[in-house]
Amino acid sequence: MKVTVDGHELDLPAGTSAIDAVFGAGGDVPYFCAHPYLSPVGACRMCLVESGSPRKNPDGSFVMEGEGDAAKPKIFWFPKPMASCTMQATEGMHIRTAKTSEVVAKAQAGMMEFTLLNHPLDCPTCDKGGACELQDRAFEYGYGASRFGFDRRHADKHYPLSDFVILDQERCIHCKRCVRYFEEVPGQEVLDFIERGGHTFIDTEEGGLPLGFQGNITDICPVGALLDNVARFRGRNWEYDHTPTTCTLCSVGCSITADARNGRLERVVARENRDVNEAWICDAGRFGHPFASEERLTTPLIRNEDGQLVPATWDEAITAINRGLAGLSLADLGLFTGSEATLEEGAALEALADVLQTRHVDHSPRQAVDIAPTATLTDVAQADFVAVIGADLGEEAPVLELRILEMLRGGLLPPEFAHGTAIADLRLVERPARQPERLAVIGAESRLWEHAGHRISANGRDALARLTRPDTDALKAVGEALTKAERPVLVLGADALNGASGSFAATLSDLAGRTGAKVMAIPAGPNSRGLSALNLVPRAGGLGLDRLSEVPAAFISRLNPGLRARGFTVVHDTHLTATAQLADVVLPAVTNYEKRGTTVNLEGRLLPLNPAAIQAGEAADLIRTLTALAEALGVKAPVRGLRGAQTLLASRLGLKLDSLPAGGVIHRLPRAHTAPAQPHTPRLWTERMVRRDQDWVDRIADLTQGGWTLPVAPTAPQPGGDD
Amino acid sequence: MTYFADKSALVADIFSRYPDSPQGRRSALMPLLREVQDAEGFVSEARMAEIAVLIGTTATEVRSVMSFYSTYHTVPTGKYHLQVCSTLMCALAGSDELWDHLVETLDVQPGEVSPDGRFSVQKVECLGSCGTAPMLQINDDGYYENVGPGKCARILADLRADRQPLPDNPVPVTVTAEGRQVMANGQTVGTSLTGLGGGTV
Repeated sequence: MKVTVDGHELDLPAGTSAIDAVFGAGGDVPYFCAHPYLSPVGACRMCLVESGSPRKNPDGSFVMEGEGDAAKPKIFWFPKPMASCTMQATEGMHIRTAKTSEVVAKAQAGMMEFTLLNHPLDCPTCDKGGACELQDRAFEYGYGASRFGFDRRHADKHYPLSDFVILDQERCIHCKRCVRYFEEVPGQEVLDFIERGGHTFIDTEEGGLPLGFQGNITDICPVGALLDNVARFRGRNWEYDHTPTTCTLCSVGCSITADARNGRLERVVARENRDVNEAWICDAGRFGHPFASEERLTTPLIRNEDGQLVPATWDEAITAINRGLAGLSLADLGLFTGSEATLEEGAALEALADVLQTRHVDHSPRQAVDIAPTATLTDVAQADFVAVIGADLGEEAPVLELRILEMLRGGLLPPEFAHGTAIADLRLVERPARQPERLAVIGAESRLWEHAGHRISANGRDALARLTRPDTDALKAVGEALTKAERPVLVLGADALNGASGSFAATLSDLAGRTGAKVMAIPAGPNSRGLSALNLVPRAGGLGLDRLSEVPAAFISRLNPGLRARGFTVVHDTHLTATAQLADVVLPAVTNYEKRGTTVNLEGRLLPLNPAAIQAGEAADLIRTLTALAEALGVKAPVRGLRGAQTLLASRLGLKLDSLPAGGVIHRLPRAHTAPAQPHTPRLWTERMVRRDQDWVDRIADLTQGGWTLPVAPTAPQPGGDD
Repeated sequence: MTYFADKSALVADIFSRYPDSPQGRRSALMPLLREVQDAEGFVSEARMAEIAVLIGTTATEVRSVMSFYSTYHTVPTGKYHLQVCSTLMCALAGSDELWDHLVETLDVQPGEVSPDGRFSVQKVECLGSCGTAPMLQINDDGYYENVGPGKCARILADLRADRQPLPDNPVPVTVTAEGRQVMANGQTVGTSLTGLGGGTV
């Protein structure tokens, strides 16, 4: 299909929208209401272009213009500028943007004047300043002056839609992105326009927004009408250090941008990754981050003669460990780590365990079986039948739930162009028809139930076995649907995998083989999939984390079982947890927002982590901490840095980890190591992530009573200065 | 107590007018709202939630749709809901004075109900009776036209005594077989379609 934009002819696939044609030609059109993953509606009237098409005579030949060889099809122009986001580009179409058309430039400037008619000029105080599309586009496409001298309309400011999202009704420009988002993406129609007409505003009648995916509307709001209450008034867009990284709260591994200011992690926003999270993240990932900057451990702590933990230097901590472990056989030291550790950290831990020849090695949480994933998240979105077995996706992998809902509305993935994801995919429609009969949920009741056509209440533990030998009509129906479907996917959650016995994997592969289903088992921890590829499970005769209290001495990294080892205990954690309070030596750790490394998500996709600029004092990641531990033990650490760990892993995985693409890469990991494990209950919002409202009230009271101090870095001697 | 709990026949009748599909059920929103409003004078939040459950949507959407129309009320209305057309023609003919008079003598403001529960007032956009401005609509019974001070006083006196005078133009307008509109007092108005051209059609 040939389309001409501002005189440049380009070749585009059929079905492309006019706005994508313009961007495909390297041009620019301002827009507020279009969004790659939402239906185009043409609400903001900003993406106006002039367009025209050739017309045919009754005999099928084109109406021509010009004489002889110079003759070419005559272009019949629409009499008025058209919204390009809802217009499909057609063969031979000509499009003129503001660059070449004065009509378009004037129409856009006029539309901008109209949009700003009632938009308060809050720019000095609005938190969207610096990231506001209206501000940028007004600068680029507006007149710079207004002919409307009267007072602006006034409406509610700072209207809380929920604890996390604040609405400013005055600033809303009625682009309807948030309304469409709730309808189309999580399928919860909780926002809508009220009082259509001159006083339209956005509101909900449900008494608040449902917790789960509400935060995404703060990302997509093109103005400062919907703001993230956790990040509000904490910094300006240009003040933040933006770090593209990966969220490791659950095993989906969403791409995020961590925004830090003055050494504090102030904001997390979603980053587009077409293969994983598209443009969305869950509320835990977005709003649960303040713990990374609150009450952190910044120095090592050692237990003094009075039994109190007191701050110390790393040297003192190493000495204390050396003294505490004196006389202990190195093979008796247990090494335990949490499942959010990176692949590199896991490799360093395994290498040290091999040197020490210890048998007590473990990572937690983990499952007793390892089910290699054969489905990707895109497979889930494009499946024609999904059976979710024994999973509460809201707790285990929320964004997987969004991909399943995407499957229910047809699995339409917007096409990709050189300029990125299609800005307006004309196949996406408002109020999409959903096909609930494509979804079966077997297990305990969860949020996904209301979308499922097949709901079967079952004990997650034997759900899979019952599905292979259906004993009820409902189960038989699911079995038939699985067999009939062309691209079925089985999703297995913690309830199904917890009590899995040896025959589980065989039953599953039998069912998958019989129905042709792809399998996605949700790992217990954020990087369980990566760590289980390493030999981080109790070796022959070794004790796992569940028998921690019997281990002679232990090093525990970022785990909080609430127990200590029989003998000397070293805890490496970001906060003074219950376990850390029992330890002999506590070493400060960094959070995953501050690490460089690699994590593996539930599809087996290797995703890079990048360090955000968060102040963590003398905290160290697991690789450096293990190097210090090795020093205390008097052995040479086999892996002493990230590069060493990556070299070691490159030889094992056959993949260079230092040059992963930003979107990650699916890689087949070697054989997984498994061992019996304790059942675990997935919990996404940990206690530390829940914002304590009392603090919030205190902080506001401080602000109003003038007792507030600027959050500046403490004055510490700067090493190596000229003075 | 829910409103529709004991009215399953009525609800079934309303649903039967629309396709038997999720989208079809949603279409039943307007008659359900009308049903509640006619019975209770307004639609409360509890009723919005009830209707939302009936038609398989959310209370937000019910409120969104109903707030589009000035003819649905979210606050209680009086036994006589007086609607004053305030668009240009009526404004030129004195609807502002009529409005001020009503507000003062009845002592109600928009959104309020008079203490005796009889009256509530509302300004509405063009009711399409410009030739007989200023005009007033009471509930959805019909049009009271050319409402000057004297006529207004007579209407209010009758309403206070709960004797509602017949409207000058009932709504819906009755149309006779020959296509003539008929006023409440039986007088025919307008031109007969069949009588065009002196009956020589």
